[in-house]
Amino acid sequence: MSDERATFLDSVRHAVTLGNQAGRVAPHPGPWHGYRMRTEGDLAAVFAERCAIVGGQCHRVRDGAEALDVVDRLLKERKARRIVIGQGPYVDALDLPSALRGANRQWCTVAGGPELEELAESPHKAALFAADVGITGVDWLVAEAGSIALLSSPGQARSLSLLPPIHVAVAHRSQLLADLFDLFDILCRLGHNPDLIPGLPACVNLITGPSKTGDIELKLVTGVHGPAEVHVVLIDQD
Amino acid sequence: MTDFARHEHHEFQAASKLALVDVPLQVALGRLTTTLLAGNRRGFAELPESDGLRSHAKRIKEHTLAHLDQYLEQLEASIQRVGGQVHWAADAAAAQAIVKEIAFANGVKKVVKSKSMTSEEIHLNAALEADGMEVVETDFGEFIIQLAGERPSHLVAPAVHHTRESIARVLSEKLGMELPDDPVILARAGRRVLREHFRTADMGISGANFAVAETGTIVLITNEGNGRLTTTWPRVHVAIMGMEKVIPRLADLPVFLKLLARAATGQPLSVYTSILTGPRHDEDVDGPDEMHLIILDNGRSSILGTPFRESLQCIRCGACLNACPVYRRIGGHAYGGTYSGPIGSILTPLYDSVKENPHLPHASSLCGACLAACPVKINIPQMLIGLREVQHHEQPSHGESLAYRTWATLLRMPWLYRFALRLARPWLRWRAKDGWRSTMPGPSGGWTASRDFPAPARRSFQELWKRGL
Repeated sequence: MSDERATFLDSVRHAVTLGNQAGRVAPHPGPWHGYRMRTEGDLAAVFAERCAIVGGQCHRVRDGAEALDVVDRLLKERKARRIVIGQGPYVDALDLPSALRGANRQWCTVAGGPELEELAESPHKAALFAADVGITGVDWLVAEAGSIALLSSPGQARSLSLLPPIHVAVAHRSQLLADLFDLFDILCRLGHNPDLIPGLPACVNLITGPSKTGDIELKLVTGVHGPAEVHVVLIDQD
Repeated sequence: MTDFARHEHHEFQAASKLALVDVPLQVALGRLTTTLLAGNRRGFAELPESDGLRSHAKRIKEHTLAHLDQYLEQLEASIQRVGGQVHWAADAAAAQAIVKEIAFANGVKKVVKSKSMTSEEIHLNAALEADGMEVVETDFGEFIIQLAGERPSHLVAPAVHHTRESIARVLSEKLGMELPDDPVILARAGRRVLREHFRTADMGISGANFAVAETGTIVLITNEGNGRLTTTWPRVHVAIMGMEKVIPRLADLPVFLKLLARAATGQPLSVYTSILTGPRHDEDVDGPDEMHLIILDNGRSSILGTPFRESLQCIRCGACLNACPVYRRIGGHAYGGTYSGPIGSILTPLYDSVKENPHLPHASSLCGACLAACPVKINIPQMLIGLREVQHHEQPSHGESLAYRTWATLLRMPWLYRFALRLARPWLRWRAKDGWRSTMPGPSGGWTASRDFPAPARRSFQELWKRGL
């Protein structure tokens, strides 16, 4: 085992030395100081536009009450019965499971905890695989590409934005970032300090539109593995 | 030498001829490469300072390769710190053995795989199936290819050589249901079947687009979401990565993310970028309990010490394939290796052997379209010329040497040069059509076998000049 490691690294070291003899030991160029998207105007409008370009739908709402209306309408139109929901600052405040109770709706709040040490016994797996709609908060929105950034945590399972055919993300304008580099500035602060709690989560997902494939004659088909619809409900005010 | 880079040692020229008369393939290739190449150009054009960003990315790769041993060790330490395990595989057999060992230790029966060229390179599926495991490819294109018993023909569009009719035929037969040739219905059928595999698999195997040395982070990029599904419910995640995929810092990652999807398809970002750091945390609802990274050499260290080191900067976007006038005509299978197109014409001879792949370094007009499309500015034409030089040193051709010596002598003696030209001109013009000769006798026939020779003008410029034009 360690023998293989030593032999492997020896041959790499040897090759690196040999290759560097040509005088090509380049220094690391450091961070990128070139172009970053900067928006003086309405970042939410840029996000909404780019989100639409990649096939998502951004619903801009004034406040929580309007957000509830939008989610209720989406659930009605899609005849959603089984809904899984995660936890997060803006999504918790809406208290969707009580506010949008309905005879035909089964709400399942998915949240981990200390009791969840054995994945195989997860009580949430069946609910997640059967759900019609998954509702999450977001950690950040990246306007440049119309992307949603989700950090995994006990309240924000990876499956919520992946398994159901429809993903609804509840976001607030304070979570908007202009450029992808801005997001990584934040992630680097988590990653640079291994002692920092919580550090980097096990999974950060950047989601840019609905699941897509062009494998059949280049015809764009959405929802081949992940959600076919991605909705961002973007709250303007507190 | 080793056989891993090529699935069969076939005749490049014969395979190309077959591809050229395959009408559905020509239609599919035209459609794919034209769309993706336009996306590549639009993607770079829409991003301000994209040229500077590409140079920046290249400098990061150059630096990393010049310190690869250090970054690999740092990557190992970081992954161990976040609870993952690192394995070192010198070649395909070693990598296969490591995957099997992890599978046995976890009682694995079913494996789901997200698209990975590295696993193609080491023939992993066959090795696992031989040990009784069920292996399911989950990228929709790869799934079709696996059911059809073929291999991918493009880096990012593996099933490009199929039509909707042939896909409907393959899926109907192998899935045991009657499916029409409607892409939406076919994709939905694929989703249903594959979703069940994702639910019941014990192990997920993926490649890695990048691995960050500083944080022990593995990055997976897909448009379908199969990379995410592969790493969400199976208990064990194994990522297999060519050793050149390591990057030093987390801050380097957005540089490559901004370039990769734009180069490949013109998207600002692919649909899903998963940034994975270690196995799931104890309180998380999903994610793998175990995470393994297999770092693969498989011939890479023998390139690292040579002037061909630059080829290890490749991030596998497929842009050079779409841009290449040769790939656009003959497709991926004709190249005979895991990697096709211009980058394959470099990697296959280097990984396999220059001698066994004599045509690949010449499967290019050196037009430079690949270099223009490459997100990390790999000078592919220069390396193809370098390989031709290697060929010449390995197998010097006496006829060629004689021809060049004669040419050199002629050029040093103007009177002889003019005399020779006067003799050659009528001969070259003889049987020329529209200013081109398509056939020449003797050893010169080698030139006209695959291209025409321009016939010279009736009188040389010097003659005309002397006559006062």
